[in-house]
Amino acid sequence: MSGPATQPPVLATVRVRMYQVGFGDCFLLSFEYAGQAEPARHVLIDFGSRQLAAGLNLADIAGEIDTRTGGGPDVVVLSHRHQDHMSGFGGSGTDAVVGRWKPRLVVRSWTEDPAAPADATGPAGPSGPGGPGLRAGLDQGGAFATALSQAIAASARGLRADVRELALAQLANQAAIDRLNAWSRTGQGVYVSYGQPLALDAVVPGVQVHVIGPPTVAQHPAVAKERATNPEYWQLYQGLAATGAFDPAAAGGPTATDERLVGPARWLVERLQGPQLRSLLRIVTALDHAMNNTSVILLIQAGDRRLLFCGDAQIENWEYALTFAPDRQAVLELLRGVDLYKVGHHGSRNATPRTLFNLWTEAATRDRAMIALMSTKKSVFPGTPGSNTEVPRETLVTALGQRMRPLLSTMDLQPGVSHVEVAAPAFGDAEFTEVSS
Amino acid sequence: MTIVAQDPSVTGEQGMLRASVPVPADRLEPGPRSHRFQVIDYDATARVLLPPATLTPGTWQSPGSGDAEHDPFWDRSDTALLSDPAFHAQNTYAIAARTLAVFESAIGRRLNWGFLGHELYLVPHAMAEANAYYADDVRAVLFGYMPARVRRATRNGPGLRIARSGRLDPDAVYTCLSHDVIAHETTHAVLDGLRPRFLMPGLPDQPAFHEGLADIVALLSVFSMPEVVRSLLGQADLGGRIADRSVSDEDLKKNALFTLAEQVGSALKDERGSALRDSITLRPSTRWTSNPRYNEPHFRGEILVWIILETLAGIWRKRLEDISFAGSVSLARAAEEGATAAQHLLGMCVRAIDYLPPVEFEFPDFLAALLVSDAEIVPDDKHGYRVAVRGAFARWGIADADNHIADLSRSGLTAVYRNLSYTALRSDTDEVFRFIWENLELLQIDPRFYIHVEHVRPSVRVGPDGIVIAETVAEYIQFLEGTPGALSRAIGLRVPGAVSPGTRVRVLGGGTIVFDEFGRAKYHHRKDIRDTGRQQRRLSYLVGNGLFDDKALGVSDGMPAGQRFAILHQPDANRKETW
Repeated sequence: MSGPATQPPVLATVRVRMYQVGFGDCFLLSFEYAGQAEPARHVLIDFGSRQLAAGLNLADIAGEIDTRTGGGPDVVVLSHRHQDHMSGFGGSGTDAVVGRWKPRLVVRSWTEDPAAPADATGPAGPSGPGGPGLRAGLDQGGAFATALSQAIAASARGLRADVRELALAQLANQAAIDRLNAWSRTGQGVYVSYGQPLALDAVVPGVQVHVIGPPTVAQHPAVAKERATNPEYWQLYQGLAATGAFDPAAAGGPTATDERLVGPARWLVERLQGPQLRSLLRIVTALDHAMNNTSVILLIQAGDRRLLFCGDAQIENWEYALTFAPDRQAVLELLRGVDLYKVGHHGSRNATPRTLFNLWTEAATRDRAMIALMSTKKSVFPGTPGSNTEVPRETLVTALGQRMRPLLSTMDLQPGVSHVEVAAPAFGDAEFTEVSS
Repeated sequence: MTIVAQDPSVTGEQGMLRASVPVPADRLEPGPRSHRFQVIDYDATARVLLPPATLTPGTWQSPGSGDAEHDPFWDRSDTALLSDPAFHAQNTYAIAARTLAVFESAIGRRLNWGFLGHELYLVPHAMAEANAYYADDVRAVLFGYMPARVRRATRNGPGLRIARSGRLDPDAVYTCLSHDVIAHETTHAVLDGLRPRFLMPGLPDQPAFHEGLADIVALLSVFSMPEVVRSLLGQADLGGRIADRSVSDEDLKKNALFTLAEQVGSALKDERGSALRDSITLRPSTRWTSNPRYNEPHFRGEILVWIILETLAGIWRKRLEDISFAGSVSLARAAEEGATAAQHLLGMCVRAIDYLPPVEFEFPDFLAALLVSDAEIVPDDKHGYRVAVRGAFARWGIADADNHIADLSRSGLTAVYRNLSYTALRSDTDEVFRFIWENLELLQIDPRFYIHVEHVRPSVRVGPDGIVIAETVAEYIQFLEGTPGALSRAIGLRVPGAVSPGTRVRVLGGGTIVFDEFGRAKYHHRKDIRDTGRQQRRLSYLVGNGLFDDKALGVSDGMPAGQRFAILHQPDANRKETW
């Protein structure tokens, strides 16, 4: 005889904490159940920083997460392999805390699968259409970024500083990767792509996930056509990178110019450092975009609440879901009903596609309650006057500020405040509200 | 001078296809440096300045004294040429100088650059990047290179393109060895001098025209090298003949003659959009404007390239029909017929620039300018170029409206020349302004808006039949600036809502007036500043594509100084999605 049927736990509340990590991402999702029939489950999405906020470090944040989750999250999601999303997982003074964690599930992009061959076009292996070598290209681009970041002095200013910052952002954090790999072995590691089923509810009862990015090369060959994902491209640069020849002279600094050089040649040579820096910036930006576009995009359905977490995905990743996927109409319908949006890529100009944003300003959706969380820090990527490349992008912030109720940003947290938390009932016609800060 | 005919990857029986070409006579200093160009071989990535190339006697011949055999580069091996910086300098200079000459001979006057200065700097190894671009802020065309792969770079020293011997790595990919890249970038510089305001924020046709024209010049100028055309058409039989299907549609579409920048393109696929275009393979459609792909300037520019190449292919085929016998034609004759047709079409395109308005370019403007300017110099059109061009435009739904360019001699109103000096009208902007002032009604110019005559340019053109046409081309602009609210009140313009109320918005108008050799106004090609439909399209396009900055709309496209073409060559097809 069997005993009485076990009732599945009923979700009661969804809480999201956005931690103050400066320029980076760290979001803790907590799902609480009615009557505390089940302990709350915790999903940590990214944990890293490119530049911390004053008065806080990642060890502090790790400690808070540890306390909040009672010894570590149940699920860890790494959106993509950029320092500002993963440095907290290892090698950043957090090891004593995060080393104790034992997540049951680790979710990463299909491009991160250590068992996949370098020429994989998707999680299933190298078969299928599209150019090979996406992973190999990213790896080699990372090597180039390492050489470049070492070549430019930390004291650099202006455009040189921009190049260095962007190069540094590409560097692989091996300690973090090792830890995520270890967790994937002791728990379960999954490497996801568009449309792939992800049984999150096995760990977090009552919560479903739609994976809407990144597409595989087989699904969307365009993702492998970006120049920075072409291994040949980086091979062409490795020779120069090995020499350290990428150290561009500081403005007004010495050049290799013969001091006797006069006239037009001198005039020109003195002015070519600017275009050279622009050139380097284009090269590293291409790599940055390619890496961003490996971001996992998750649409999390918890009861009646929908939460959209998209890492740093840019339009080349998004466009498959928004434009090309065979089931895109269904995805668009899901997206129209999002309650909480994690602003893509710290509010940069090209990570909240207008096509996506416009879904929330249609006549039928513009009055829906929505909240947005933006983890960012000014002055890390200030852009140049008129370039419209500052992060966060002013026009996007304005638009989000007008549409969202509210747009919460880590930039608005008081010094020393570690997080902002929002919560909403899982069911019913409810909306997220700020709980504390 | 000896040059690489296409790029190092295009080879014939003797290896890399090269050509010996005449270069406009000039006094050359080391560099080489002429009165219009200076080659400066500075590598900003490796921070190495190579000495200026002194072309040895025979490499550069005095006017009239040289031929191919005397250029020492002609007999050197491919590897020797690829690794010799002096040859790179010569190649860059020669092709750039020839490109400028194409424009000057068709337009019939010296052409000014778009910057303050007489010399355009050519930097053959400016940076390690798969790009080449015209940078107006440094008065230069910067040619990038792609270092060789590690195995070769290591052999030459640790990764440097310049080995200890002072030779270049022959395995690297140099954009300065691509005929098409050099011609393309030089065309950007020349067009910037002719129509400087085409770099201002405008309708999408405007940057597309920059790209399209640059490709057209690059492609058609290859036809001026008969040995190259002969080589690319294929192997002749013992009688010197080839099958006439060698110039069939399919064969032409596969032919290197009709594609751009082979080596650069294959080395870095998406790096440089213009290097990869196969415009002739486009499928024409009259519904292209609804295809968002064509919002991107490169793709849009390919429409113009397709139109000109389709016209060329049609005329070439027609000319060959007359000389075809038993399914074959003389190879030399086939190449000659192609060269004649290409030269005429290239001349048509270049001459048409003078008839374009100075601002607010749109594709129908080019069609109208092509037809009117060509009719001036080739009244009878016995080979049907104008019919063919009009037909090719029509396949894309682009038609020339009646009176697109006003024929002032048939306007019904008589121009007033009271107190005007015909001599001064050929050179003096104030005199032309007075002409405009006296003839506002004839020219339909609204004097409420600011008017400024920017250029007055005399020209002497010689037609294929020896007809000499002397003209003076005057360009004026009008503009209006104000907040969205002010523009709404002034001309009923609705500025898109994404623009904040305090933003400075600029709208433009203007026109080109062509005077004949007696100082009489012949044509007026204008873009009326009051055309709110066009202004609305422009502002919607600029706002929709993020082509404005936080303080102004229609003034700046937000791109860093000098980087416009560098960015344009790395097209961002998704710009409309950005903030």
